[in-house]
Amino acid sequence: MIKASVRKIMEFERFREKLKHTSFVPIEGLGKATKMAQETINDIFKGFVSWKNTVMQMVEVGWSSLPIILLTSFFMGMVLALQVGSTTSNMFNEPVYVGTITSFSMAIELGPVLTAIVVTGRVGAAITAEVGSMKVTEQLDALYTLGTNPVRYLAVPRFLACFFMLPILTVISNIVGIYGGMILATNTWDISSNAFWSEALNFIGVRTFLHGFIKSFFFALVIVIVACHKGFNAKGGAEGVGKATTSSVMTSMVFILISDYFLTNLLVSLRIK
Amino acid sequence: MIKVNNIYKNFGSNVVLNGVHLDVRAGEVLIIMGFSGAGKSILLKNIIGLVKPDSGFIEIDGIDITKCSLEKLHEIRKKIGYVFQEVALFDSLNIFENVAFGLRNLTTLNESEIKQRVKQCLAMVGLKNVEHLNPSSLSGGMKKRVGLARAIAYQPEYVLYDEPTTGLDPIMSDVISDLIINLKKHLHITSIVVTHDMKLAYKIADRIMMLYGGNIIFSGTPDEVRNTKNEYVKQFVRGSSQGPILIEKRFEMERI
Repeated sequence: MIKASVRKIMEFERFREKLKHTSFVPIEGLGKATKMAQETINDIFKGFVSWKNTVMQMVEVGWSSLPIILLTSFFMGMVLALQVGSTTSNMFNEPVYVGTITSFSMAIELGPVLTAIVVTGRVGAAITAEVGSMKVTEQLDALYTLGTNPVRYLAVPRFLACFFMLPILTVISNIVGIYGGMILATNTWDISSNAFWSEALNFIGVRTFLHGFIKSFFFALVIVIVACHKGFNAKGGAEGVGKATTSSVMTSMVFILISDYFLTNLLVSLRIK
Repeated sequence: MIKVNNIYKNFGSNVVLNGVHLDVRAGEVLIIMGFSGAGKSILLKNIIGLVKPDSGFIEIDGIDITKCSLEKLHEIRKKIGYVFQEVALFDSLNIFENVAFGLRNLTTLNESEIKQRVKQCLAMVGLKNVEHLNPSSLSGGMKKRVGLARAIAYQPEYVLYDEPTTGLDPIMSDVISDLIINLKKHLHITSIVVTHDMKLAYKIADRIMMLYGGNIIFSGTPDEVRNTKNEYVKQFVRGSSQGPILIEKRFEMERI
């Protein structure tokens, strides 16, 4: 009888211990990430910004990502124009709405989402790997001992770089994607460039571009906060940094795709579309 | 003056520091020894505020760093240099930038003074013409010396060394010993040195303490260490596998 009670108590204790270490990890992570984001934003408003580091990060995030953004957006625009032309040819015996659908899709969805996904893979992963390596080799502790707050030194420039460069990359992605669609439409579907642009601009206004533009600011926040948070909390040597990097990319992508739905809902309800 | 008062630190069920008391007098060189995993590095990290104790307090020049604000802690850290066990040089910066990092953040020196100070500190640890190199192109021993130069560059009042001679050849270890003695003699720097290197300990120490089971179990001068009857200290100094430390460690392993 006593033995059974002791076993039950031990089982409960083990369960409680397990619960403490596993179940609340995502909530704890969310709390820590929010706190870090708040600290970063506070530092920016207090003026603790190293402009030299920020410009270096802007070059890394913006300029270095540009070739891959140009390439992927151009092909995405062409794929869209090909699909729309092919589908409408089957339905109406001629390719219609190629300009409208291609540019509309690029501006409101594919431009911002595709750019965010590419930047997550390139920049988010790099941020987590770099900060994570610094964490496991005690370089973050060294920053503290040398009178530097690691959040201020590492997170602030990366935060600003992502926040300002991702929307710019998104605009470029939109333009290049639509241009890719136009090239395909003129060559494959014999649609003149004038007809393509007039179709596109008849249905698309400033608000349509604004829709994607606003989303890109939010996606930038997701990428940089997740990447920095995962880096600052990496542990366990090289393996830990690898796991943190994978987790950073996956978490950012999932957050981007899920938040895209809610953002779209919000922007549509605000008539920004 | 540094006062560590009754500090406890646990990591899960692992009790690392179990009510540690110690006072570090101004200008002295204090050696903390103990077997690997005894909690020496954690004790140093508590003293500089990188790790917060579960209870107890640590006073540096009369300020309790376990309760003070981040700004105050930042001010106190200006007084302390820290030599990391794994060096922790910044990979993205060259050697000059690494050594100059603390000077730029913690002092008001201008660029030419910083240049001069960096050169001087690197020369003190036996390094010349390495300023433009990246940490990855240095050997382990050279990195260790750069770490030391970085910690002393801004002339802190206290320097905490976490195994400063590990990975160095005997001659360079002796150079580091002389450096610590000179820092004490000329700049009145107070040092806490965590080490296993008994030759270094005997040469530089004013006092030697031994950390065992989360507590300081011995404190005395180098001569008192040589003549102690404490079986733990005797075993550690001899570097023998026979003695109370092994018996208890074996017992712990059997329990696991």
